[in-house]
Amino acid sequence: MNTSLFDIVGPIMVGPSSSHTAGAVRLANLARLIAEQPVAEVEFVLYNSFAKTYQGHGTDRGLLAGLLGYPVDAACIKDAYQLADAAGLRYTMTPVFAKNHYSPNTVQFKMQLANGEKMRVVGHSVGGGKVYISKIDGYNVTLRGAYPTLIMFYKDQPGMIWQVSKAIAERGINIASLHCSRNERGVQAFMEICLDTLLPQEVVDEIRTISDIYMLRNLDKLSP
Amino acid sequence: MTLYNSFEELLSYCDEHQCSIAEAALTQEGRLSGRNREDLLAGMRTILQQMRDTVASGIASEEKSMSGLTGGDAKRLMGFMASDQCFLSPMEIRMMAYGLATLEENSRMKKIVACPTAGGSGSVPAVLVALEHEKGIDPERTTLGLVTAGCIGELVARRMFLSGSAAGCQAEVGVASGMAAGAVVEALGGTPQQVITAAAISMQNLMGLVCDPVAGLVEVPCVVRNGLSGVQAAASATMALAGIRSFVPLDEVVDAMAEVGRLMSPRLKESADGGLAQTPTALKFTQSFFGPVQGSSPEA
Repeated sequence: MNTSLFDIVGPIMVGPSSSHTAGAVRLANLARLIAEQPVAEVEFVLYNSFAKTYQGHGTDRGLLAGLLGYPVDAACIKDAYQLADAAGLRYTMTPVFAKNHYSPNTVQFKMQLANGEKMRVVGHSVGGGKVYISKIDGYNVTLRGAYPTLIMFYKDQPGMIWQVSKAIAERGINIASLHCSRNERGVQAFMEICLDTLLPQEVVDEIRTISDIYMLRNLDKLSP
Repeated sequence: MTLYNSFEELLSYCDEHQCSIAEAALTQEGRLSGRNREDLLAGMRTILQQMRDTVASGIASEEKSMSGLTGGDAKRLMGFMASDQCFLSPMEIRMMAYGLATLEENSRMKKIVACPTAGGSGSVPAVLVALEHEKGIDPERTTLGLVTAGCIGELVARRMFLSGSAAGCQAEVGVASGMAAGAVVEALGGTPQQVITAAAISMQNLMGLVCDPVAGLVEVPCVVRNGLSGVQAAASATMALAGIRSFVPLDEVVDAMAEVGRLMSPRLKESADGGLAQTPTALKFTQSFFGPVQGSSPEA
C-alpha cells in the first residue's frame, strides 16, 4: 500500500488529533456511506486508546460530525453534539476497557437505520488521519476510502465476479483492485472493487439487476 | 512500480538522475496518482498557505483551548522578541512561536495541517514559515521543502505507524522534526544526502519520546514540544549542512524507532496512563475537568 505525499502533509483538518479527531470523522464518513440509509440511532463502541481519550481528543465529536456527513476540515465539528441533537440522531458512547485484540484506535458502529435495518461496522484509525474499515456485518473487508469503491454481498456462486467486472469493463472504467471473500461456501460472499473513477448510476443499476445480490454500495472516495 | 522504497534507494535515485529529493518525490507521486507536477505543486501550495494562515491566527490569539489548559503562549513569545532578555535570534523565536501557534490553534479545534499528524503539526510550519518571514526564502523553495518533508514522512510511514498510540510521541513530534529538518535543508538548497542526514540526526535526538498527554488532551506537553521541535529540527539541519554525518543511516534509525515503539509500554502511548499524565498535578486537573471516570459522553 503506497502512501501519498498528501496523506503525510495533510489533511487540512480541525484539531486536536489526526488519529482521534480526523480519523474518527473519516471512519464515520465511511460508516455513513456504507449505511446508505439515514442513521437513526448509533452506539459507538470504543476500544483501547479511543476508549481512554475519546473526550479529550474530540473523538466523540468527530464520530458524530462524520456520521452527519461533515468532512475533516468542517469548523462545526466542535459543535457536533448540538448538530446531532438538532438532526435527531440518537447516540451513545460505550468505552470498552477490557483487554481485546483490536488495534489501538478502534470503533464499532452499531447502527439502527431509518428503515429499521441494523448494521455493524468496525473501523480503525492508523495515524495521520488514515483509516480503514475491517468488518461490515461480520464480513472481513479492507475499505480505506482512498478510491471510489463498489462493495457487495452476494450469493457465493460461479460467474458473479465475471458478470460484475463485465458491466464495469463495458463502460471502459479501470479496476484498480478487486478483493473477494466468503463466510461459507455456496452461501454468502463479499466483493470489493476499487476503481479509478466512481461508477455512473446506470452501471450500478445494471449490476443491481444481477440476481442474488443482497447488498450493493457505490462509495465515492473520501475527501483528502 | 515505485521508484524507491527506502531512503537508501531514494538517494541512489537522486544520484542517478542528478535531482533533488523534492523532484524525485514529485516524479513518484505523479506516477502513483496520475497528477502532473504543476497540479501536485498547486496542492502543496494550498497546504503551505493553510500553514501560514494557522500560524498567523495562532500568534495573534489569546483564546484559551477548549479545556483552558493552553493558549496565548505563541503571542507571549512573539512579544518577548523585543525584550532585553531575549538572547536568541528572531529566527529562533519565530520558529518557537510558530510551532506553539499551530498547536494552540489545534487545541482550539481550529484548522491546521496534519504533518504528519495533528499532534506533530507544529514542526514543519515552524521552520518553513519562519524561513520565509525571517530569511526571505522564496515560497517556491519552501514549497519544495514541504514536498521533501512529505517524502521523508512517507518513507518513514512504510516502516512504522505514525501515531502516538502505536509508537509514542517519537512517531509524531519525532518524525515531524525529521521531516522539518529535511525540509530546511531542501529549502536552503542542500544535497539529498544532507536532507537525509538532517532527518536522521533529528530523529535520533527524539527517539524514545513517550506520548503522555495530560488528561488525554493534545495540549500538555504537546504544545511546548511543538514549540521546541522546529528549533531542534533547524539545529539538525545546520549540523547536516555543515557536513556532519549520521553514523547510522536513516532507514536503520527509523527501524530502531519502530522497535523502541514496540518496546514502549502501552501506558506511555497516548493512553494518559503514565508519564506527565499520571503526575499529581495532571490527575488533579483530570478529575476537575472530567469528573469521575464515566462510561457515557459528557453532554449526553
